[in-house]
Amino acid sequence: MTYREDIAKIRDELFAQIASQDDPGAVLRSDRLKGLFLSIKDQPSQDRASYGQLVNELKIELEEAILDRKNHTERRDPIDLTSPFDVNAPLPDLLGVEVGSQHPISQEILYMSDILQRMGFRVYDSREIDDQYHMFDTLNFPKGHPARDDYDTFQVSEQDESGMNFVAPAHTSTMQNRILTELRPLLEKDQPIAATSIDRVFRNEDVDARHEHTFYQHEGIYVSKGIHAGMLVATLQTFLEGYFEKTIEVRINPFYFPFTEPSFEFNMSCPFCEKSGCNVCSQSGWIELLGCGMIHPNVLKMAEIDPEIYTGFAWGGGVDRMIMMKHGIEDVRHFHSGKLNFLRQF
Amino acid sequence: MKVSLNVIKKFTDINIEVDELVSKINAQLGGVDEVIDLEARYKDALIVKVAECDKHSNADKLSVCRVDDGGVVKDIPRDEHNLIQVVCGAPNVKKGMWAVWLPPHSTVPASFTDREPFVLAARELRGVLSQGMLASSEELGLASDSIGIFEITNSDIQTDKVIQAGASFAKLFDLDDVVIDIENKMFTHRPDLFGQLGVAREIAGILHQPFRSPAEYLTPSEFDSVSEELEIETFNDVPDLAPRFLTLVVKNIEVKSSPLWLQIELIRLGMKPISNVVDVTNFVMLHTAQPTHAYDYDKLNGKRLGVRMARDGEEIKLLNKKCYKLTAEDVVIADAVGPVGLAGIMGGLDSEVSSATKNIVLEVANFDMYSVRRSSMRHGVFTDALTRFNKGQSPLQNNTVMSKLLSLIQSIVGGAQAGGLKDQSAALETLAGIKVDSHFINQRLGLKLTDDDIKRLLKNVELQVDDNLIVTPPFWRTDLRLPEDIVEEVGRLHGFDKLQNELPRRQISPAPKNKKRQLEQWIRSSLSGMGANEILSYSFVSEKTLVSAGQNPEDSYKISNAISPELQCYRLSVTPSILEKIHENIKAGYPEIALYEIGKAHTITANLVDGVPPEQLRVGFIYAAQKVQKGAPYYYAKRYLDQLMNELGIHVRYVPLPETNLAIAQPFYPSRRARVIEVNTGYTVAIVGEFDDSVSRNFKLPDYAAGFELLTEGIQKSINPSSQYRPLSRYPSTSRDLTIRIDERISLQQIVETMAQVSINETQVTIKPTGIYQPVGETEKNVTFNIGIFSRLGTLTSEDASAVIERLVNSITDKFKAEII
Repeated sequence: MTYREDIAKIRDELFAQIASQDDPGAVLRSDRLKGLFLSIKDQPSQDRASYGQLVNELKIELEEAILDRKNHTERRDPIDLTSPFDVNAPLPDLLGVEVGSQHPISQEILYMSDILQRMGFRVYDSREIDDQYHMFDTLNFPKGHPARDDYDTFQVSEQDESGMNFVAPAHTSTMQNRILTELRPLLEKDQPIAATSIDRVFRNEDVDARHEHTFYQHEGIYVSKGIHAGMLVATLQTFLEGYFEKTIEVRINPFYFPFTEPSFEFNMSCPFCEKSGCNVCSQSGWIELLGCGMIHPNVLKMAEIDPEIYTGFAWGGGVDRMIMMKHGIEDVRHFHSGKLNFLRQF
Repeated sequence: MKVSLNVIKKFTDINIEVDELVSKINAQLGGVDEVIDLEARYKDALIVKVAECDKHSNADKLSVCRVDDGGVVKDIPRDEHNLIQVVCGAPNVKKGMWAVWLPPHSTVPASFTDREPFVLAARELRGVLSQGMLASSEELGLASDSIGIFEITNSDIQTDKVIQAGASFAKLFDLDDVVIDIENKMFTHRPDLFGQLGVAREIAGILHQPFRSPAEYLTPSEFDSVSEELEIETFNDVPDLAPRFLTLVVKNIEVKSSPLWLQIELIRLGMKPISNVVDVTNFVMLHTAQPTHAYDYDKLNGKRLGVRMARDGEEIKLLNKKCYKLTAEDVVIADAVGPVGLAGIMGGLDSEVSSATKNIVLEVANFDMYSVRRSSMRHGVFTDALTRFNKGQSPLQNNTVMSKLLSLIQSIVGGAQAGGLKDQSAALETLAGIKVDSHFINQRLGLKLTDDDIKRLLKNVELQVDDNLIVTPPFWRTDLRLPEDIVEEVGRLHGFDKLQNELPRRQISPAPKNKKRQLEQWIRSSLSGMGANEILSYSFVSEKTLVSAGQNPEDSYKISNAISPELQCYRLSVTPSILEKIHENIKAGYPEIALYEIGKAHTITANLVDGVPPEQLRVGFIYAAQKVQKGAPYYYAKRYLDQLMNELGIHVRYVPLPETNLAIAQPFYPSRRARVIEVNTGYTVAIVGEFDDSVSRNFKLPDYAAGFELLTEGIQKSINPSSQYRPLSRYPSTSRDLTIRIDERISLQQIVETMAQVSINETQVTIKPTGIYQPVGETEKNVTFNIGIFSRLGTLTSEDASAVIERLVNSITDKFKAEII
């Protein structure tokens, strides 16, 4: 028998196995095939090259046949889709409660919402697609403002009814006009508008250990008669003291946002080192936490609230950063990685 | 933005310590990034005269100098003429020159901030003792490309200074200074704070001191109306994007290096000296925030200069020597032939001022902040001029800046005006007065300021305030428009640290709960309690992911400026994102996993609601195991789903879904997927199934996997937490096992539903399947139930129970030809 005939015989055998076995892939690990590869070196030198080539071609053929079988021949028997278990099988076991986990971001959003809810804030969802009217026009962003262009905000190809492209909101403030409009009747009943939206936002940004294009914001708004900037500071301080369950010092710096005037950058004393300096606060004792300010009169007007009678404040801050500080998480990319060795720690 | 305290002090008094000033700047102006103490760095550097300079007898390249320090340094060996011996290796050292000497024990300024600063000593060089060293520019930390030691001549210092042996180098060049670096982002809306003058005014304001700008800034000097010796024709085609364009020709200049004092002025504020002309334009910018530019007059074609839009495809080589292809959206400065500058960003190389330049055109212009920003982003060019223009400089200050520029050019570079000022401007606005009152301001700040307090604070920074509190902004404050802007101004200048912090008062009515969030949390608690792990993944997926999951990318909203193709499509359902996370987790050593994600789905096939796409909250779940378990994997997913529905109190039935266009159902195997329907409302609440072959392959799933996706809208509408309860019976219940043989095609749900329809007065029945047995090859199956029976009327006898069982059995034997075994 020539070696060609030998190989042809083994080929037929292996092909038959692919057609009949439950696990056709096992053929690639079979002793028959391994034996062929091992025997290459035993061939007379004049045959060795062509022998080796034949064996390699056979392996490729087998791989294709296995894939083919998986693609076309694998038919699943009918089952009773309404039954809690299969025939001749027990009720499936659930994984143990001990391996289950909730995502740290979900836990954080719940934790923050809970504090704000207790302080009297209604909790709102944000949106993942919105129109430019809510994202920019109602928030006093002038036409041509950089936030409106491609470099900062994800643009959606599809357009709204006025022919403007939808956007992926870069801040939860995109909900501000809807919330103010919805809750405006409260003002007439002498009740304040107090609301927070804590949700996912997007920014056109390259991802690295400290930057993500998908992240989370907590935003608060409060509107009533006689609301002033000192109340903004006191409200945020109260929220943070509820959050860290300890006394926190706060201070504000002037800043600029289109949708607030005056605008501030809000800082808190470092809750991790009590201002003595640590890695979280870069040894400064203070942490730059969020942006805030008195709601711009144009924003109130867009929601048909008279800025002469009512004033209010708003803030917006990052959720991810709070979790990273709290747990010492070194890389923001872990959050969306879906890696169990990360997730099961929470 | 670097600010020199010495420069600030020329405009206003500062009577507090640097630390206190920095904390005030932090609180009332902007975050301070860095404080650079130049005085400490240069404190030991002295001006000396090289009195003697001889060749070193033992080294060709070394000179042995004797320097005169005016006898200032104590305890150092001196010769009989009171001179100090220093060995120097620089080629330019010579007798009679003025140089900078770093005595022994002093720190080389360039190494001042290093981890290990270099401290000098007296040491022997080839047998000759050298006391410290004569410094080069590089060692002084001023330039990196210097040759030889730093040489000072009389033309290098400002007219009010004198070169003297033993004088402090720092004092001679105003380096007895502190430079404060303030974050740019704090000045987004304050173009005036990108100049030393503006920051000085603001610092005076926060220190509650009145500030007065130099007269030359407030009122520009008249330009000489000289006859036009060097002709230039100017134009402005785009006055809306270039509100102002001023030019002036200067003749007979001599381009060379700037005097050292000017070079050092630029260096300490972070700029690089280039030539006297360029340095003066930059110096003016650093002071006033207004960028300026100089063109070589003789290189301008057709003696024309103006502003226009670029033509698509037009090219320009900028001063950075890089070539840019322009678009019709770029504003350019052009001559008769082509662009000579990218407006507001950088000048062109072809009209660059060089050492051969004899005549120049000075430009002071104003450009639309958004337009220059877009050009800069489009071409990736970022400059100091752009940083200033994209904050929106005031066009109203251009003439005073031009007059300052001209006078500095004439005093430092020389030359004479060769024509009058040319002004190509749009109609300029006048800044309107803003009416405020103390009540309005106090109400928003929670303060009790008087009219006089407010007036004083505002007047300190040169805002005009009349007796009726009408505030007129000065020409550089184009940012002030609304009464609220004045509130900010007053609050900041007064000090935001002085606000009265008090919580708002409100009625005690509770804030209503967010029902959707509550449902999400119930689902989370339930699934995680069953050992599943919640993941979060991106809202965007690739087209490939959608296709791999059997979905149609044409149905998805698209991101047009996605950073990568991986993030191009809004998800049509959540399941594909979870599918992408299975393989890597199993590979990472987790052989059996259950992952879920709560996320939103969007599809362009749905109609807009209130003008925006509806967002559907979904919960995707996948169970996957490397090891094949008993029974079909379908039942694993269903087990989790049943348990979840049970905990939510939702009654569902399962309906096979062999054919459907629903995107959510596409990843699942047609004959092994079901639609899950809430029995009372008829809402579809989930799709459950095993994955299609192609899906398993595309996502490298293990052989054993199944999942479901919840449609939470249906669940939300079906939840009725009170419908679960049945009153307890006072009598004991009984239970029986029942096994029937029945055609394999009859579903368990049909059997249970049929039995459950049997009504028996006051007797309640629970039907719980406990096992199905079907020998291979048989077409019938044996199904075992545990039947629980109890009555509210009394204790059931064995006969009562048997009668109930019989009626149950009859209902199915009649309908399905089942038999009891």
